[in-house]
Amino acid sequence: MPESKILIIDDEWESAIVKAVQRRLQDEGWNTIIVQPQSQWMVGEEFETATIYAIEDERPDGVLLDVRLGEHRDDQFKGLEILRQIVERYPTLPVLMFTQYAQGPARDTAVRGALRWNAPVDFIDKLASPEEVVLRLRRLMGSSPDIIPIGAHLLVDVGAETVSARQDRDSLLAPVTDIHGMKFEIFRELASAWYRSPGELVPFSRLERYSEGEEARASLRVRIREIKVSLGKALGIQLGANDLIVNVRDRGYRLTPPQM
Amino acid sequence: MLGALILVFGLANLVVAPVVGEAMFARLWGIEPLTYMGAALVILGLAITSLAYMVSDIVRSRRRASDEDRRFAERWTQVTQQYFDLFNHDLGRPLRRILGKEREIREQLQASGSDIHPSVRELLDEIEEQTPSFRLMMSNIQVLIELETPNTGEHLHAVEPAEVVRRIVDRYSLVAGDANKQIVWWSEPTEFGIVYCDSSAVEHIVTNLVDNTVRYAESFAEIGLTRDDQAFHIRVWDDGPGIASRYLPYLFDRGWTPEVARHEERTSSGLGLFIAHTLAKRHGGDLTVESITVPDSDHHTSFTLTLPLQSAPSRTAGEPVA
Repeated sequence: MPESKILIIDDEWESAIVKAVQRRLQDEGWNTIIVQPQSQWMVGEEFETATIYAIEDERPDGVLLDVRLGEHRDDQFKGLEILRQIVERYPTLPVLMFTQYAQGPARDTAVRGALRWNAPVDFIDKLASPEEVVLRLRRLMGSSPDIIPIGAHLLVDVGAETVSARQDRDSLLAPVTDIHGMKFEIFRELASAWYRSPGELVPFSRLERYSEGEEARASLRVRIREIKVSLGKALGIQLGANDLIVNVRDRGYRLTPPQM
Repeated sequence: MLGALILVFGLANLVVAPVVGEAMFARLWGIEPLTYMGAALVILGLAITSLAYMVSDIVRSRRRASDEDRRFAERWTQVTQQYFDLFNHDLGRPLRRILGKEREIREQLQASGSDIHPSVRELLDEIEEQTPSFRLMMSNIQVLIELETPNTGEHLHAVEPAEVVRRIVDRYSLVAGDANKQIVWWSEPTEFGIVYCDSSAVEHIVTNLVDNTVRYAESFAEIGLTRDDQAFHIRVWDDGPGIASRYLPYLFDRGWTPEVARHEERTSSGLGLFIAHTLAKRHGGDLTVESITVPDSDHHTSFTLTLPLQSAPSRTAGEPVA
């Protein structure tokens, strides 16, 4: 799978907060490119030119763009001007505005502009955690990956329809052969929901499609238990009721990465 | 108009009086009665015309003043908004530096594999935990400014409520996890679709509710999204100790917090629920609360936001905002 490229445009690109986000994006397996203007005196217009050139050259899969680019009053909303240009030239390119101005009239105007082009644009607060930035970019880019890593010890390969596990970080991931067919489909549903939004519950109704017989709920329960036993064995741990796949208030299941 | 008519009629009387007066009245007074009548009508006409002019002038000047007041209020709001943006950005700068350093230290400690001293971990967690509160506080001030603005009508957009809830859960998952609390969400139907509403208002209301619920939950918080023919509902539930029924009537009052009732040090501004309730009402909906307190084993608190399902505005883009 080709590595996704994310362009970062921020006048505080050397700040710890941007660096932390950049490192988290790299952990995600994304290639990050920081746009830096040539001049030492950063002004919004230089960012504007540099960004458009960088998009032309790099053809990124997503853009993380600050709103305020420089200290001059004219540069207070420069990022929104750049956004307008991106939206007009590359209307399908996902742009996540990373800004302290995540609310208010300036944002509303920009959103209305993006709506006119049906562009994938979203806003996130600069104080958001790197994890939040990754989750938002995942959804904005619509990436439903073929490989879903769940923590450091589990991996779902959607294309090959396999789940692999390892007992410690140094060992190699080995396929868990017991999980296939409907059991794989159930685990894939849970892993995909977790990848999109870790707090999302997968309701019984969606998982019961992968069960047989009249007692779909009971059959689902059995399959979940079997999945947990197989994965517990592969991970070398005993998985309890509140580990890995959790029944939430008899409404559905959710996946939580194993604590090892 | 009436005054002018009477005035014209009176003047006509005065003009024709010398000609027709003798023929009309057998016995003339000192001056014929038609002249008296004409003079009286002229005075009456002048009085009514002046009065009407004065009244219309007052109304016009009041209308002008009210237009000026409105324009001034809008200008004031705009200026306040600009200053708020600057203030928000500049106040956020030191916090961004602190937060960035905290994340860097946390990563370095994790990479080194050494045990982190509990007090260091507590400090790092505290910085991370206070961040959502700061974000919410800034956004509450922003909404307070908007609430002071003359109502310019509703801003309806196509919104995916599931995405709104999803991003709020993203925001609070880390903090909830650090405090050993679980936060989950679901929607019924699973593919919830879009609704037409003010996306910022919905996001703001639910963020305040979730912030509250993560703070008071014992170990579990749940957000459920449902819809019927008339409305959609977002229920925010937590397994916290509950709110005593005697406090419930004050819950949505500005500045009220449980600490106020208990005469303790306040840990929040007491603005969140007030703003959430005000916004819900402003958008034709409602925000209700239901709570069961300890020692009941089913103790919990549940807030339900209900907003009407509205039809698409005539000029809207098809894609959801959220």
